[in-house]
Amino acid sequence: MLKVGDFTLPGDIIENIKSLRGVTVLGPGLRQNEEKPNTLCVTIAGTLSFKEPNTYWIEGNRKHYVPKKGDLVVGVVVKKAGDILRTDIGSAEFASLSMLAFEGATKKLKPDVQVGDVVYAKLLNAHREMEPELVCIDSYYKAGKLGILSNDGFLMNISLTLAQSLLDIENPLLRTLGKKFPYEIAIGVNGKVWVNSKTSKDVLNLIKTFEVAEKYISDKKKIADVCRQLS
Amino acid sequence: MMSNLRKITISNSEKKFLIKNLAEWTRLDGRAFDEFREVEIEFGKDWGCCYVSLGKTRVLAQVSSEIQQPKSSRPSEGILNINLELNPIAAPNFEAGRQSELAVQLNRLLEKCLKDSKAIDLESLCIKMNERVWAIRVDVNVLNHEGNILDCASIAALAALAHFRRPDVTSDGEEFIIHSYKQRDPIGMVIHHYPVCITYSVFSGGAYILADPTLLEEGVADAFLSIGVNAYKELCGLHLGGKADLSPDLIIKTGNKAATRAAIVVQQIKDAIEKDNQKRSNKDEQGFHKTILEDIEIPLEDLSICLDQWSSKGKKNKKKKNKTEKNKPQEKIVTSEDNEPRSEVESLGKGIAALIPKDEGIAQWEVSGSESENDDVVYVETPKPLVNLVFEDTDSEEDAVIVLNADQKTNKKKKMKK
Repeated sequence: MLKVGDFTLPGDIIENIKSLRGVTVLGPGLRQNEEKPNTLCVTIAGTLSFKEPNTYWIEGNRKHYVPKKGDLVVGVVVKKAGDILRTDIGSAEFASLSMLAFEGATKKLKPDVQVGDVVYAKLLNAHREMEPELVCIDSYYKAGKLGILSNDGFLMNISLTLAQSLLDIENPLLRTLGKKFPYEIAIGVNGKVWVNSKTSKDVLNLIKTFEVAEKYISDKKKIADVCRQLS
Repeated sequence: MMSNLRKITISNSEKKFLIKNLAEWTRLDGRAFDEFREVEIEFGKDWGCCYVSLGKTRVLAQVSSEIQQPKSSRPSEGILNINLELNPIAAPNFEAGRQSELAVQLNRLLEKCLKDSKAIDLESLCIKMNERVWAIRVDVNVLNHEGNILDCASIAALAALAHFRRPDVTSDGEEFIIHSYKQRDPIGMVIHHYPVCITYSVFSGGAYILADPTLLEEGVADAFLSIGVNAYKELCGLHLGGKADLSPDLIIKTGNKAATRAAIVVQQIKDAIEKDNQKRSNKDEQGFHKTILEDIEIPLEDLSICLDQWSSKGKKNKKKKNKTEKNKPQEKIVTSEDNEPRSEVESLGKGIAALIPKDEGIAQWEVSGSESENDDVVYVETPKPLVNLVFEDTDSEEDAVIVLNADQKTNKKKKMKK
C-alpha cells in the first residue's frame, strides 16, 4: 500500500486516490491504470506527492527535460535557418524560435542573434508529436523578461529538481547569495541556468554553490538552516 | 541527418567565460592546470569486470575470452580485441548501434596504447600452435560522458585486463577440456607493462595546456594531446588531434608530466587489484551492489563551507574545501609550496592536495561590490534582454543599424528586500 511521500518505482499501483467531484488531477509520472478503475499507475521513479484537494504527481530526480506548454526555459541557439532559430533546450528535439517572436521585430527589423547565443524564452507549444515552439514575447507582444541573454555570463546545467526548488519563492538560497554579492540569474525549468555577475570569481562561486546544493536536493531543511546561519 | 541534429553546441557565453578564466589561470571546477580529477577503480563480481570513474566520467569495462583459431600470420599468438562503445546513456548526442567518428578514434587510440605497445603477452594465450588460441575481448562501455573518455577508458580497460582470469585448459592430444573455475584455479593475464593514456587540452595554440579536460573544456579547446605512457616513462602512443602547432619542447615537457601522472595511476590500479584480491581471499561479499552502498555512506561536504566563502569573518575557512588554488600558476600545487607564505599544503592522498590558509583571522573572501552599502539585496530575477535590431534588407532607405536602448525600458526587475 503506497502512501503520499513514499518512494515509488515504475509499475507501482496507487489505490485509494482522493478526488473532487469525481475528478483527480494527474501530474508528471502518473497515468490512469486501465486494468482497475480508480487506481493510478506510476511511470517514473520518485516520491509520490499530493496536493489538496485532488492533485497527484511524482517528484523524481530527473535530468532529462520533457517540454511542457507555458514553461520558461533557457536555450542555446544551435542553427539559423531563414527566420527560424533552432534552439537546444535539452529536450529530445530542438525547439524552434521564430525571429519574429521578439519584441519589436518585423520582417525587416530582426533581432541580432548569433549561433551560440543564449535565450530566455517561453514554450508556446509542446506536443509529443510536434517540435516544441518557443517565443520571446507574451500575448501582448511585450518581451517582459524574455529575450537574448548577454554573452558575458555563464550557462550551466543543473538537475530539474534543483531548478524547480530554486524557483520556489521560499527557497532562501538565492536570497542568501544576493546578500553576499549582486548577480543576475535566469533559471529555466529545463535545468539550464544562466548566471552573470560583476567578477568571474562570483560566477565561479555561484557554480560551486549550485553543485553543492545539488547534493542537498532532498534535504531542503539543511539548506534553509545554513542560509539562516549566514544571513 | 540525425547526427547533425544532435550535435552539442557550446554557447558563446560558456566559451567566453572559460577563455577569460584561463587568462586568469583559473579552471571552472577550481582545479589547477596540471590537476587531474579523482580516479576511482572498483571491481565487480566477475573476473575482468571493472568500473572506473574519473570525476563524473564513468566507464565500465568487461573482459571476456573464447577459444579461436589463430591468425595464419601469427600462429602462436592469442588475439586481443578492444571494443569501445558510445551509447546514448553516456550523452544524448551519442547514437546507439552506429560507430561514430569519435568512437572509431577513441577505439584506435586505446588499441594503440594497449595492443600496439605489446603490454599484454599474447604468446601466453596460445593453447596449441596453429590450432587453438585464446581470443580476449575487452568491451568498454561509457556510462557517463563528462569529458576525457579516453583516460577513463584506458584505465578501465587496463585494470579489467589485469584483473581478468581465464579458465584453465588441458589437452589430451585431440580434445581440449576447459576447466570451470571450481575445478581448477583460473589463470591471470601476463602483463609486461601498464600503459595508460593521459590527455591534455591545448588552448590558444599552446599558450594554455590543461590536464584531464572536462566536457566543456574539450569542446572549447583548439586541440587535444593524448599521450600513452607507462610507469617506466616509456612512450606507448602519441596523438595530437585538432589544430595547434606545438613546439617539440612543449610536447616533451608535457610528456614528462604525463609520465609522472601515469606512474600514479598505474600504482592506483595495482593497489585496487591488490585490495580486490584481498577481499576475494577473505571471502568478503563482492560486486557493485556492495560498493554502491558504501558510496552513499560517505558524508557529503557541507553547504555552509561553500556559502561561507563569501563571509568576511572567515570563521570556517580552515575546512579543507577552500578553493584557493585560483591564482596559482601552472605548477602543481605540491611543488609551488613556497609561493604562498600564508598557506600550507596538505596532502589529501591520491595525488590531490589542498591549500590551507594558516592565518584564519584574515578574510579569505570579501564581500564584493560596493553597492551593498545599505545592506539591501538587489534581487535581479531575470537579465535585461538587450535586443539589437538590425536592418537586414539593404535595399531599404535606412541602412543604419538601430539599437533599441534597453535602458529606457527598465526590463530589469529589482526586488528590494531587507
